[in-house]
Amino acid sequence: MPLPPASGTGRYFAKAAKSIRLLRHGCTNRPFFHISVTQRRRPNSLPVIEQLGSYDPMPNMDNEKLVALNLERIKYWLGHGAHVTPPVAELLGLAGFFPIHPRSYMTAWRNRATERENLAKEAEKAAEDKDA
Amino acid sequence: MIPKNLFLKRSCPLIMQIAETHRKPRWLPVAKSKIYRIPKRPEVSEEERLELLRINNNYKTQMRAIRRFYHEEMINEKSSLQSASSEMSQQLEADEWEKCVQINEKWNAQVAAEREQRRKIELAAMEDYALKRIEAKDKEFKGRIARASAEIRREKELSSTFITPDNLEAAIDHALANPVDYNYAIDLRGNIVSGRDTPIVKPEKKDQAVA
Repeated sequence: MPLPPASGTGRYFAKAAKSIRLLRHGCTNRPFFHISVTQRRRPNSLPVIEQLGSYDPMPNMDNEKLVALNLERIKYWLGHGAHVTPPVAELLGLAGFFPIHPRSYMTAWRNRATERENLAKEAEKAAEDKDA
Repeated sequence: MIPKNLFLKRSCPLIMQIAETHRKPRWLPVAKSKIYRIPKRPEVSEEERLELLRINNNYKTQMRAIRRFYHEEMINEKSSLQSASSEMSQQLEADEWEKCVQINEKWNAQVAAEREQRRKIELAAMEDYALKRIEAKDKEFKGRIARASAEIRREKELSSTFITPDNLEAAIDHALANPVDYNYAIDLRGNIVSGRDTPIVKPEKKDQAVA
């Protein structure tokens, strides 16, 4: 099935709830996302109202994950009461447009905890090897 | 008769489910292998739970404020747009347009000058390249002519020994007077015995013995 056009041809009701969400546009093993506004209770296979940016989750040759945001239009849609899905809220938080999302904090501290555990395990192993 | 799997496989576009296409249809039951599986609950410590609660509450409060801010901004903008259709604002807009046009023309002139300069440099480079190519071609042709003339000279020198209709008789006489036999035999040691009618001296006996 062809992907919906990014140009924003989707029809919508003015008073219906909108949502700013990620829309997967990559192919197999190559994720790529458009950040777009759609009507909230509509599947991603339909045309969107407007594209507000893009997000490439795969690090490029400079080890960067690129995000493009049309902040002016995001402001416009927020003013019109659009909802923001958690992944987009996280991205906007990291971009400095929103406060940092709680989930970002949570993943960060959990990652730190696992790293600490791994380091402790390695240290223990090294000590055992020395003893033996 | 309608096949049983028609609806499940969604091969019929009329009855397509309006949902994410990569999901299992809602009406299919739990898979047999997963029917008694109880997913493990995530373990969140009390401390972490409280921390998450706190930061989530903070986040929600801040987000509410941000939302309200943008909503109010939108309302302000709307009202200002409505009041913007007055004559004074139109005058202002026209002035700004004039200013923009002037700036644009200035930039265009600047870019045109740069373009002209760049074009001159490019043209010079192109001419240089073409001249170089012409010179190289000339050199090649000259070399070819020189090689051809050398060949002609060599041929002319050789032509003194050619047989022509004038000296044809003399050449025939000379050839008949001096017959040359180019046939020769060679033995295992590499000795060349020239002539077809040369008498064979020693190897004759050996050959006979072998035979």
